[in-house]
Amino acid sequence: MKILIVEDEPKTGDYLRQGLSEAGFTVDLARNGHDGLHLALTEPFDLAILDVMLPGLDGWGVLSGIRHARKDLPVMFLTARDAVDDRVKGLELGADDYLVKPFAFSELLARVRTLLRRGSKAPAETSLHAADLELDLLRRRVSRASQRIDLTAKEFALLELLLRRQGEVLPRSLIASQVWDMNFDSDTNVIEVAMRRLRAKVDDAFEPKLIRTVRGMGYVLEAPPCTP
Amino acid sequence: MHPLSGFSLTRRLTLMFVGVGTAVLLGLGWVVSNSVEKHFEALDMEVLSGKMELIAQALQTVSAPSDLTQLSHQLARSLIGHHGLEVMLLDADQAVIFATANASFDPAVVAAQARQRPGQPALWQLADQTYRGLAQQIPTAALDATGHPASVVVAAAIHIGHHQTYMQAFLQTLWLFVAGAAVLMSLLGWWSVRRALQPLRAMREQAQVVTAQQLSHRVTVQNMPVELAELAQSLNDMLARLEEAFKRLSDFSSDIAHELRTPVSNLMTQTQVALSQPRAADDYRHVLESNAEELDRMARMIADMLLLAKADNGLVVPNRELVDLAAEVQALFDYFDAVADDKGVHLRQSGSASVQADRLMLRRALANLLSNAIRHATPGSVVQVWLTQHESAATLSVDNTGDTIAPELLERIFHRFFRVDPARQRSSEGTGLGLAITRSIVVAHGGQIAATSHDGLTTLTMRLP
Repeated sequence: MKILIVEDEPKTGDYLRQGLSEAGFTVDLARNGHDGLHLALTEPFDLAILDVMLPGLDGWGVLSGIRHARKDLPVMFLTARDAVDDRVKGLELGADDYLVKPFAFSELLARVRTLLRRGSKAPAETSLHAADLELDLLRRRVSRASQRIDLTAKEFALLELLLRRQGEVLPRSLIASQVWDMNFDSDTNVIEVAMRRLRAKVDDAFEPKLIRTVRGMGYVLEAPPCTP
Repeated sequence: MHPLSGFSLTRRLTLMFVGVGTAVLLGLGWVVSNSVEKHFEALDMEVLSGKMELIAQALQTVSAPSDLTQLSHQLARSLIGHHGLEVMLLDADQAVIFATANASFDPAVVAAQARQRPGQPALWQLADQTYRGLAQQIPTAALDATGHPASVVVAAAIHIGHHQTYMQAFLQTLWLFVAGAAVLMSLLGWWSVRRALQPLRAMREQAQVVTAQQLSHRVTVQNMPVELAELAQSLNDMLARLEEAFKRLSDFSSDIAHELRTPVSNLMTQTQVALSQPRAADDYRHVLESNAEELDRMARMIADMLLLAKADNGLVVPNRELVDLAAEVQALFDYFDAVADDKGVHLRQSGSASVQADRLMLRRALANLLSNAIRHATPGSVVQVWLTQHESAATLSVDNTGDTIAPELLERIFHRFFRVDPARQRSSEGTGLGLAITRSIVVAHGGQIAATSHDGLTTLTMRLP
């Protein structure tokens, strides 16, 4: 997967490139709008991340340029200004997502993956697996090592999210939004408690531990590579 | 533009004062001169009609043309001593039968006056003298050729030169007086307006003292005229509002500085200590993890502060739709279920209500209320949400059992960064902005929020239109 970043702030640009590269993407970084648009139109990118305020040609200009030639390229905006007008303008011009600085990198990564996944429709699964954990989507049952585990509806939804996005660090805000439809930064430890309870049921009595807390970033469900 | 808009208030008032005063004096002069004129006319008319009466009686005795000659003598005698009075008699052919010494009025004019306006006063000009005259056709006892009573045109006129001289002098005096009065009025008006506006100048001087550093200064309201006292009061009220807004603004800045100082200082210390000597990879990881947590909190705080700043400036505009509050509360109970259960707190709701509101904002406001209630609830107690639908509003109250909040602190729980227990400051949960955000959202919806607390029961009630 090839991602284009257009960002003039040197540190932000470098860290985004490093972070996304380490997450397994091929990343090109342009430091101004004109270079960015040129790259976007000449190379086959799967996603573009644009800063709004850029020297030369601003993010809106780059976006309109891209939309002229490539209607299907997903575009995500980064901005330091949280003005409703900006958001509306971005969406009207055809941006697919919008992140306000300062943002958590885990949030950006999760949204990037969501955007990239949008294009390729995965076949409808009936069950999800990780190591010996199995989640039956049809009968809404969960078992680990063949033992039935009882989960509440929200716990089930939470586990389903973690399983669907195995290996990805999911930030708290994304979990709150996907599982509970709470689309704001809540300042409580709701997600922590919910996660602890889920782990008590899914992980505590079993080995290996599948759900892991990544401090300062979020949670990830991952089967260790050594287990079958 | 108003024609007077460039003029000072003193000038405007003086001009108006002089204008009105002069107009009143002129009007008064007109009325007086008019009535004097009328009075003179009445006097003249009295004399003239008296004479007319006499002549009419005398004419009754005339039964033959020869009698007229005798009458003329009689009249000439009786009119001696009447200075300025002239009498003229004309027959049917406008021939002069009798006339006093100066009575050389045009017979045609006299006859016309007798025909058209008998007995009415008229002004006749003779040489350079003006006369007020009266003409009338008076029948005699004699018969004319056709057998009808013959009539005579009688004209009596009185010289009114002295009246005119008097009126002229009167008008001249009046003009002089009005002009003098206008000058005097403008001086007096200017002086009194200046005096009356003295408090205004005093107010201006006081207002000039007010600066950003001295917003607490107020204009003195005592001893001010009523109109200016109101203005001064309004000015003071405005200053009070400005001071309040200014204070909030500077509080806001110092709050940000203060609240960010601690985490930034933590980050700095931690990072510098970590870098001061070589460490194991795991140690570095711990430092970075801790930094990430702290930074995440700071980022959230900045986002919250921005939201509050926008709300303070009226930039938060709800995108209204019909929201079922009971369903929202249920969704939030689902969300807080684990946390409440962990703490042994039961969540209950009763009633139902719906409002026109921004769903996302309202959910956030309610989440803060519930999270606050659960956090401060005694383990094992119940957090109860009451919903009531009124005609034009809905109320939602959240009860929790816990420590009673002192009355003087109740209002402040909605302030930024306010924590009832200062020791809880900087606990990992919360930026201290939750209830402030809730209030901002409620206010942006045109609602109110209030808190009560007694006997361990704290209730936060919001009312949404």
